[in-house]
Amino acid sequence: MLKLFETETLSLDKLTDEQTAIKVNDFSVWLNNSLVLNNINMRIPKNKITAMIGQSGCGKSTLLSSFNRMNELNQKYAFSGEVELDGRDIYNKKENVAKLRTKVGMVFQRPNPFPMSIYENVCFGLRIQGKTERRMLDDIVETSLRNAALWDEVKGRLFDSALLLSGGQQQRLVIARALALKPEILLLDEPTSALDPLTTLHIEELINQLKKTTTVVIVTHNMQQAARVSDYSVFLHQGELIEYSDSDSLFTMPAKKQTEDYITGRYG
Amino acid sequence: MRKFSGAEKQTISSFASGLSAAILLIVLISLVLFIMLKGSVYFWPSQVFKVITYDTPNSEVSAFVPSSVNIDEFNQALSNKLNAQFSNSTLPMPLMVVEQVDAVYQISLYSGAIQYGTFQQINTPNSERYQLAELSDVVADVAIFQNQLHDIQTNYLTVLHRKIALLNQSGVGEEAPARLKELEQFTYWQQKAEALRQKLTSYHLIFIDASGQPFDVLVKDIHHLFQPNVMSLFDKFSYSGNKIIEFVSESPKQASTSGGVFPALFGTVLMVLLMAVIVAPFGAMAAIYLHEYAPNNMTTSVIRICVSNMAGVPSVVYGVFGLGFFVYTLGGSIDSLLFSDALPSPTFGTPGLFWAALTMALLTLPVVIVSTEEGLRRVPEGLRAGSYALGATKAETIWKTVLPVASPGIMTGVILAIARAAGEVAPLILVGAVKFAPSLPVDGEFPFLHLERQFMHLGVFIYDGAFHNQTNTQGSSMMFASCMLLLIIVFILNLFAIIVRNKLRDRYVRI
Ligand SMILES: Nc1ncnc2c1ncn2[C@@H]1O[C@H](COP(=O)(O)OP(=O)(O)OP(=O)(O)O)[C@@H](O)[C@H]1O
Ligand SMILES: [Mg+2]
Repeated sequence: MLKLFETETLSLDKLTDEQTAIKVNDFSVWLNNSLVLNNINMRIPKNKITAMIGQSGCGKSTLLSSFNRMNELNQKYAFSGEVELDGRDIYNKKENVAKLRTKVGMVFQRPNPFPMSIYENVCFGLRIQGKTERRMLDDIVETSLRNAALWDEVKGRLFDSALLLSGGQQQRLVIARALALKPEILLLDEPTSALDPLTTLHIEELINQLKKTTTVVIVTHNMQQAARVSDYSVFLHQGELIEYSDSDSLFTMPAKKQTEDYITGRYG
Repeated sequence: MRKFSGAEKQTISSFASGLSAAILLIVLISLVLFIMLKGSVYFWPSQVFKVITYDTPNSEVSAFVPSSVNIDEFNQALSNKLNAQFSNSTLPMPLMVVEQVDAVYQISLYSGAIQYGTFQQINTPNSERYQLAELSDVVADVAIFQNQLHDIQTNYLTVLHRKIALLNQSGVGEEAPARLKELEQFTYWQQKAEALRQKLTSYHLIFIDASGQPFDVLVKDIHHLFQPNVMSLFDKFSYSGNKIIEFVSESPKQASTSGGVFPALFGTVLMVLLMAVIVAPFGAMAAIYLHEYAPNNMTTSVIRICVSNMAGVPSVVYGVFGLGFFVYTLGGSIDSLLFSDALPSPTFGTPGLFWAALTMALLTLPVVIVSTEEGLRRVPEGLRAGSYALGATKAETIWKTVLPVASPGIMTGVILAIARAAGEVAPLILVGAVKFAPSLPVDGEFPFLHLERQFMHLGVFIYDGAFHNQTNTQGSSMMFASCMLLLIIVFILNLFAIIVRNKLRDRYVRI
């Protein structure tokens, strides 16, 4: 399979703590009393792109939102195990969850712009942090929108309601919103599912750019995309981690039969 | 038995629902029309007839009667009076003749009283007799004198009076020259004022009533003077225009049977706005607590059920609660804490505007809570998640994203609350609304808004109006006019709230 962007690959088993962004230890999740994630163990390398693939309902979104504790918004949520960031368990009692989420940004599967202007959507997170200097906000709004390949379409109507944007534009807006905070880790849940091929390519380029400073975890149903953009890939099946390796090996010579079946399209 | 086919059933049910909708509409329209018809009598100049009632061939009673009076009822009242006069004679029902008299004048006085009569002459101090054509000159003269009198009163008499009072306070001797000078001035202006008053009382109009007796009216007392039977349509309209303005801008006269309802209008709007200001934040906060913070358990459900049931508690119960708790307990303690030097006369420990607004806020709280919760429920989960994911805390999320989206729900609650509060009577009578308040709750005196004062309310005014004598058409038509005004006020307040709600909806809710 063709790789668009060349990167050096580290061996996953030999990752040092320095090179690790997120460390998941024996992590299980129950939603509504049913087991959704079963004993996940993995290390996500720093400043790399990791793709999560797997059948619908296998727990990708659940795992992704475990990394910034968004799961907790569910009423019937239970977990065991640890998720470590910079060597500390983010599920510890004293964790400042709001601060954690500014460091671990997230783009949701369904675009959810706020009922405010485009401009206010993008600087929402900054305003929460008490940043009000107009010049700085203007700059960040412009860069974020440019990076999300939306600037040209909205620069003339920054103060119109974000609800008037098309689905795909909304999806890019919420990406820009997450970028504005310059997170250390960015969690993307199917960020290009509503975009045309050209815009998708833009976003993929952006993801690749981000790699210099940011760890990206991306959920996708598009095998080509996963192979194109990611350095590492993880395959989940019914809440279990089946295979996790560098994307080259996972897509060219999967170690497990289940993985092979999935990527060659033999699963429903 | 014949069974209806599906299509027939559909026709029948759509016909039935259409019919009931039509009936509802008709009831509503006829209610409004009835009130408008009855109320408009108050503003429209009615024809005046001379009614002559013969009791026996040699005893007759005549009166000028406006056509708005129900002639039968008038007749009844008249015959009662006659029967009282001739109580020992057995007489047949009186015979009545109605005549049209074009020349008759309707004389509306500033006091609110109305008299009818044909014009005879104008009397002035120099006992010249003017003709009717010169009436406007006479009226202008009188107005000049009245202005002069007013001027003397405000610019000299009050000022001097204050000066003398100050001198008295500073202990200046009785015979001090400064004091004597002021006193002399005071007496001088007082005499001038007295002279003007004398002059004013010597301008009369002489009219002749239906039975031919002359009566006189002081020119300075006359508010409107016109001939209803020969009025042009334009004059009639301008007369009703004036009456409408008078109705909404002046105080009631003649024991609330004439004049305007401004204090009641003002009191209603002020009370409702105060209530809205109190109930909206409290209702919203309670709903936010119930929906966002309270754990999802039995206790919360029980509280929720209680809140919905509170909406069904009869309003007079709230009135009694307001009187017992707010007025006596809360108001009493405020008095003993802050206004103890004014005791035993109560300041807040008596029914008043604030307690009324608070009681109405309590009465409408369930409505606001329920509809705010409905609004909160409609906020998409994704919005909350989006806000949390950008590092917002729970409070920030609620304040910045949830509340704006739920705000149309809050407004819906406020709309319902306004409609309810503007129309209540029973609880208001208990906690502060009165049929006549000597002063408005807002005036130029510090602190400008007097929350402890009693106030007038249109609903209470109407309720009171219903006890007026049926034959006093003037009074009962005023009651209907007030009803009309209440409808309009509720409509305007609602319209305003609906516009705000739609603005919010456009702004915050997906189209
Ligand atoms: N709030 C919830 N309560 C109960 N079960 C849930 C809840 N949310 C998700 N689940 C279940 O958890 C499982 C994993 O869901 P998740 O959203 O992580 O899947 P996914 O891999 O992201 O799927 P997709 O590719 O369709 O987005 C599913 O079986 C789903 O039905
Ligand atoms: Mg998902």
